Amino acid sequence: MSSERLFTLSNRWFTTALGLTAGFAAAAALGGLVLLPYAQPNLKFSGIWDAICSAAGVSREAATVAPSAVEAKTSAVVMTSRMLNHPSAASIGHGGTLALQCAICHSGDNVTRSEFPYLAGQYAAVIYKELHDFKAGVRVNAIMGPFAAALTEQDMIDLAAYYSYLPRVPAYHPGPGAGEPAIVLSGAPLRNIPPCASCHGAADNKAGSPRLEGQSPVYLKTQLQAFASAARRNDISEQMRNIARRMTPAEIDQAASFYAERP
Amino acid sequence: MLSSKRLVLAHFWLAFTVFGLALLLGAWQMLVRSPLLAWISNPEWYYRSVTAHGTVMGYVFPTLIAMGFGYAISELALERPLIGQRWAWTGFGLVVVGAVMAMVPVSMGLASVLYTFYPPLIGSPFYYLGIVLVVVGSWIWVALMSLNLYVWKRDNPGKPVPLAMFANVAGSLLWGWTAVGAALELLLQILPVALGFRTTIDAGLARVFFSWTLHAIVYFWLMPAYIAYYTIIPRAIGGKLYSDSMARISFILFLVVAMPIGIHHLFTDPQVGAGFKFMHSALTALVALPTLLTVFTICASAEIAGRLRGGKGPFGWVAALPWRNPMMLAVTFSFVMLGFGGAGGLINMSFQLDASIHNTQWVTGHFHLIFGGAIVIMYFAIAYDLWPHLTGRALTSLGLMRAQLWLWFVGMIVTTFPWHYVGILGMPRRMAFYDFTNTALAPEALPVTISVFGGFLLVISGALFFVVLIKGQLAPKAEAGVYRFSIAIHPPTSVPVALNGYSLWLVLMIGLTVVNYGFPIAQLLALKNTSVPAVYVGAQP
Amino acid sequence: MTLQDNHAAGAVVAARVERKWAMVSVAVIVLLAGMAAFAGIHQATMPQARVETADPTTLHIAGEFVESNLGSALEPDGSVTVRAVAQQYSFTPQCLLVPAETPITFRASSADVVHGFLIQGTNINTMLVPGYVSAIPIRFDKPGDHLMPCHEFCGIGHEGMWANVKVIDKAAFLAMTSAHRRLTCVE
Repeated sequence: MSSERLFTLSNRWFTTALGLTAGFAAAAALGGLVLLPYAQPNLKFSGIWDAICSAAGVSREAATVAPSAVEAKTSAVVMTSRMLNHPSAASIGHGGTLALQCAICHSGDNVTRSEFPYLAGQYAAVIYKELHDFKAGVRVNAIMGPFAAALTEQDMIDLAAYYSYLPRVPAYHPGPGAGEPAIVLSGAPLRNIPPCASCHGAADNKAGSPRLEGQSPVYLKTQLQAFASAARRNDISEQMRNIARRMTPAEIDQAASFYAERP
Repeated sequence: MLSSKRLVLAHFWLAFTVFGLALLLGAWQMLVRSPLLAWISNPEWYYRSVTAHGTVMGYVFPTLIAMGFGYAISELALERPLIGQRWAWTGFGLVVVGAVMAMVPVSMGLASVLYTFYPPLIGSPFYYLGIVLVVVGSWIWVALMSLNLYVWKRDNPGKPVPLAMFANVAGSLLWGWTAVGAALELLLQILPVALGFRTTIDAGLARVFFSWTLHAIVYFWLMPAYIAYYTIIPRAIGGKLYSDSMARISFILFLVVAMPIGIHHLFTDPQVGAGFKFMHSALTALVALPTLLTVFTICASAEIAGRLRGGKGPFGWVAALPWRNPMMLAVTFSFVMLGFGGAGGLINMSFQLDASIHNTQWVTGHFHLIFGGAIVIMYFAIAYDLWPHLTGRALTSLGLMRAQLWLWFVGMIVTTFPWHYVGILGMPRRMAFYDFTNTALAPEALPVTISVFGGFLLVISGALFFVVLIKGQLAPKAEAGVYRFSIAIHPPTSVPVALNGYSLWLVLMIGLTVVNYGFPIAQLLALKNTSVPAVYVGAQP
Repeated sequence: MTLQDNHAAGAVVAARVERKWAMVSVAVIVLLAGMAAFAGIHQATMPQARVETADPTTLHIAGEFVESNLGSALEPDGSVTVRAVAQQYSFTPQCLLVPAETPITFRASSADVVHGFLIQGTNINTMLVPGYVSAIPIRFDKPGDHLMPCHEFCGIGHEGMWANVKVIDKAAFLAMTSAHRRLTCVE
């Protein structure tokens, strides 16, 4: 018995097992790759080879459908995590020079009631994207439009590098510290409002979502209202409009003052 | 006799300890997302808990059980001390280090990606490295099992390999091969991104690699339970094993067809062709075969036991079975849950029916019924059966054991049946929060509430299990006698060489893998433009 | 059968019974697989026929998933194509408007991570994997409202990712198409 050889055609176990397995696999392949594509009435193939390839999963690029009527311009920035993560010293330096003209509005000194955002310590990707959108006219603002129009691609990268490099000044306007409102921590799931914290910090951070802590409450509220009314529409694929339009005015107030009061 | 008692006990104690902790997490998760409790308010805690629960229950707990049980089988079935004890301890150490390394970032909220990884979500590299260490530790066990069998065969040429060891090595080889898929995903795709060498990843390819592991891992979890069905239960209930060769064929079938069928998890994925989905679906049907064979053989073995105990008539033997014996209860409960779970599995297996329940709470119910129910209850039975031989102290609390098994069975049914139901209603799984006040979700509130009470029963049962073991540990020393496995009613004097080794079956296993996975993987590898930016979890960019 | 039977004869009987059971098992499996194949062909519920790719980072810049092209579009052959994008943590459009009793194809892709696409009360259930396009054909029998949750873990805000599907009367839908190229029910 120990001399019984397994891998030989005279061993019935070998031939049966191999035959059954190969037969089953071949039948399954025939069924899946040849018969089934043809059994689907609503599919058109240019030949058997095309049918087999499509069933096997050979890919093709999704067809491009040219949108006929462009309703409003949308952002053309490609956002990825870790973009603009490692700025050079030269870039930061040049950004600092450029930022002299921004300081009137965006310095942190008068942030409490400011309608302008506070930028020190903001993510580079966020600064870059907003400048890009201002320049392209996708985000509309009478002050920022002309400023951004004059910036080159490198200028925007440098400004982003500079502001993300600046340390955030601890907010000097701590509020009553009422704790985290439900809209920030839980959102309102069935209204399709995820927690603010899942993108804007406190729980997680999504690429392209600005840091909101210590931001001017007036600014936050204005922007949420602009998203809700679609007056502002440079958020990629409506990701912020989807949320803001379903927030109640009270929730907008809560979220704005919560983030403004965070250090 | 067991000469590696401490080794086996170490595996079992660690396995059941982490199981107990993960069980509590599971019950907590059910509670906080039910209508019973006001919302915990931070969804991140929930996903953190799901990641920990899944990682422990899916990777650490069953792997340790399979390893510990495997070492015990090797010594008991081959009747000789384990070769490579020091390596076995090394493997155990790797699992411990890996588990800790994985759980630290998870508990800090740095790797809330769930145990199925879900790239392009990327968590802390330590989480993935920890999993890799757990797998590497288990591969040491895989190698040791084959080595021990090889040496025994060399010393006993031509003798039939004892069934328990034959099945044990089949299980280890299945795991060795099926773990390769997730290992490829981790080493080639996820870790380079998590460590910062790359910033993009092909999520579609990663899902194909993971499916390679994800289905057959269930059969790896199942192996100890099946080994217990065949080689422990008939003896424990006073009967004999109906057929030795059918048992071998069942384990061989698992080895060959359990793995190249994983794409049935990807029925609705856009990156795999319809033809391969069909091929995997067809082979998935085949994997029901060894289970049907097992059900027959074990029921026939139980009939032998019933008739030996004086049962008469077509059904009289059922009444004559030792129903007060915990092992009898365990196998019965296991079969009932396997039956329901298997029926659900047949639904998941067909593309058309799967569409109505794919990725809903139904699926959670399905695998909890199979794994948490049918399989884990046999892990309890294995522990009850082996414990006196491991500790040299008798387990005498038979009443407690029965209560524990009953509670686990009822608890698992009460937990999972409502999940199946709400799955059909379209309730998505793995959500931290459901707003049951919404009229569309209101019908799901009652079943979800019921299932929470099933979870409570499971926690009580888990606690009783520890009481039984600890009471056993405190009992006076008692000689457990010689451990023996079930004897077949017609013990084999010789078996065909095909049923005494694995070479043919490994060739078929690898061959089928290449046929069923080769092209989908190669085609996705060749695609240039489908790598997408990683999305980092828990860390500031 | 008792244990006192002649050993060899018993073994032969046992093997015969086993073989019969194995045949029954195989027959059960063949029957089930056959039913699945039959249903698939005759009710035309088959997996997506082609693998299509799309760059998730540029969905909003070029191609069929730009913002102005999302929503329901009436095709020349009278069918309706609904295009949607999934992203952390919403579907766009947030509310899909479709006509009843009309052949509909959903085409969707993900802009970031893996999402799920499930319309409750229907058999529409697919994965959205970044880099690939999912296409699902469907026909709604009657008007009604459905919830559309993301059913795959996609990050910390996953539990907040619920969209709505509104099925309306076919005539009403067609009347709206004259005023808008792409229809949605976003308020």
